[in-house]
Amino acid sequence: MIEIGLTSYLLVAACLFSIGMIGLFLNRKNIITVLMCIELMLLAVNINFVAFSHYLNDINGQIFVFFVLTVAAAEVAVGLAILIAFYRNRRSVSIEDMNSLQG
Amino acid sequence: MQYTLENLVIYPLIPEMFIALMAMFILLLDVFLTDAKKKLVPALSILTLLTAMIISFCAVGDAPVSAFFNYVIQDSFAAFSKGLICAAGIFTIVMSQRYMKGESHLGEYYVLILFSILGMMLMVSANNFLSMYLGMELMALSVYVLVGYQRDMLRSSEAALKYFVLGSLASCMLLYGVTFLYGVSGSLHFSDVAKALSHHEAQTSMAVLTGLVFIMAGFAFKVSMAPFHMWTPDTYEGAPTPITAFMSVAPKVAGFVLFIRVLHDALAPMLNEYVTILSVLAVLSMIIGNLAAIAQRSIKRMLAYSTVGHVGFILLGVISATEEGYTAVLFYMLIYLFMTMGVFSVLLLMRRDGLKGELLDDFAGLIHVHKGYAIAMVLLMFSMAGIPFLGGFWAKFYVFMSAFNAGYTQLALIGLLFSAIGAFYYIRVIKYVLFDSEREAFNPLSDKPLQAVLVLCTLFVLVSGFFPDPLIKVCQAALVGFI
Repeated sequence: MIEIGLTSYLLVAACLFSIGMIGLFLNRKNIITVLMCIELMLLAVNINFVAFSHYLNDINGQIFVFFVLTVAAAEVAVGLAILIAFYRNRRSVSIEDMNSLQG
Repeated sequence: MQYTLENLVIYPLIPEMFIALMAMFILLLDVFLTDAKKKLVPALSILTLLTAMIISFCAVGDAPVSAFFNYVIQDSFAAFSKGLICAAGIFTIVMSQRYMKGESHLGEYYVLILFSILGMMLMVSANNFLSMYLGMELMALSVYVLVGYQRDMLRSSEAALKYFVLGSLASCMLLYGVTFLYGVSGSLHFSDVAKALSHHEAQTSMAVLTGLVFIMAGFAFKVSMAPFHMWTPDTYEGAPTPITAFMSVAPKVAGFVLFIRVLHDALAPMLNEYVTILSVLAVLSMIIGNLAAIAQRSIKRMLAYSTVGHVGFILLGVISATEEGYTAVLFYMLIYLFMTMGVFSVLLLMRRDGLKGELLDDFAGLIHVHKGYAIAMVLLMFSMAGIPFLGGFWAKFYVFMSAFNAGYTQLALIGLLFSAIGAFYYIRVIKYVLFDSEREAFNPLSDKPLQAVLVLCTLFVLVSGFFPDPLIKVCQAALVGFI
């Protein structure tokens, strides 16, 4: 049985976080994808917290995860509401159409 | 400490609890009020903020008090910043009266302002990464909605969307940084993190450096330091003007106070590393803020870049990391609050049929239209530019002096240079106001509450320019117990 160490968990989290970040910046099409990328990054944070919490034998990290999950739910609700308001005005959810404010 | 009910201290959080209860009460009350009585809602919100301000000043003693098992702390530093935040809230509510007239569900607008202020008050009192995160998110979520409050307008909802995406990204980065500090120290309390970081091995470890960089980036987004300022101009332009005023003061105050607390309480052993990062951010903010502002035609966008520039100057005080530096930061934010609120109230008074009054051209020949507004605008712009002897001059002076005394001579000189460059676009506004001829005839509003805000802010800027000493004393007193 191979022991999966702390480093492996941190690596997975780092990969997830990078995928989220890259997705956020490279994605030129849909804002829904952006919301998903943000979720992905928050999940990476959660994995980090749980891994450290288990490794340190300290419960605080896992408590933090519950708070992050709850806040993430609220955040998505607000995000989608704003997105709907935007869609009603613009009839599109494409990032390229977010161009009315320019200096 | 045992997590038992006997050990639970809650009284230092009374101002926060009061605001939370009142916000929920107002939300309910708004539903039952008839349209004629809806005026009660803003009045009650202002009263709530005033009371919370007074309570937080009264509740504070000489020594810091911690509550909720050390998750939050109440000291004079927090009380002073809560005063600033509540004052910004009150100004915003007064300024919103006319601008938001005709929007639907206006009660929620005031409740959201109250909730965002509650978040900011938690932020400035935070003594733990968990309470910091919760306060920050409460503030951010409320402000996202406030920015998009004019939901029938494309620019408002687009601004909210941009702010939301980049703001969430910032929280993710901040949290990712926090996980590493947690991993190294095994605790979320600021003081425990500092203890763990005081060992030499910890300071050079990859995990701590990664954590530090991500936390810096997260904060840089929140207080719009360059190069993390991309959201600022768009959001400022699209948001309802009173909310733009609110956003350019209150979250910045909360962000900076929290930033100072994290740096001083948790990351103090990493002083050399964070000063290096912050110096780069400060110089970039001063350069980008002051140069990009020159190219703007919309005054809201110009003020957005000017905020970025001011953030760069404030950072100099944070970098000095001395008592003098932090005093300068508090003093700067105090003056900045009044300058910004004053400028935005002129902007609101200039408003004609919907969107006008937001372009530089709209200010042409203001002196021929309304002498009072023109003189106030000229004074406020001179103060923003840092011309002696107005409040803005002393704000910049103390920040530069603190950087100079802490040994960051080059940074202070760069700051001096860019404040001179920045003076150009402020003085250009004055040129429009005083020496250009009127483009089209218009009657500016004469709205009593807005005029009161304008007079108060202008007087404050004027008086603080001649008598800065008492204010500096207040800022110094605010740091007792923190340093």
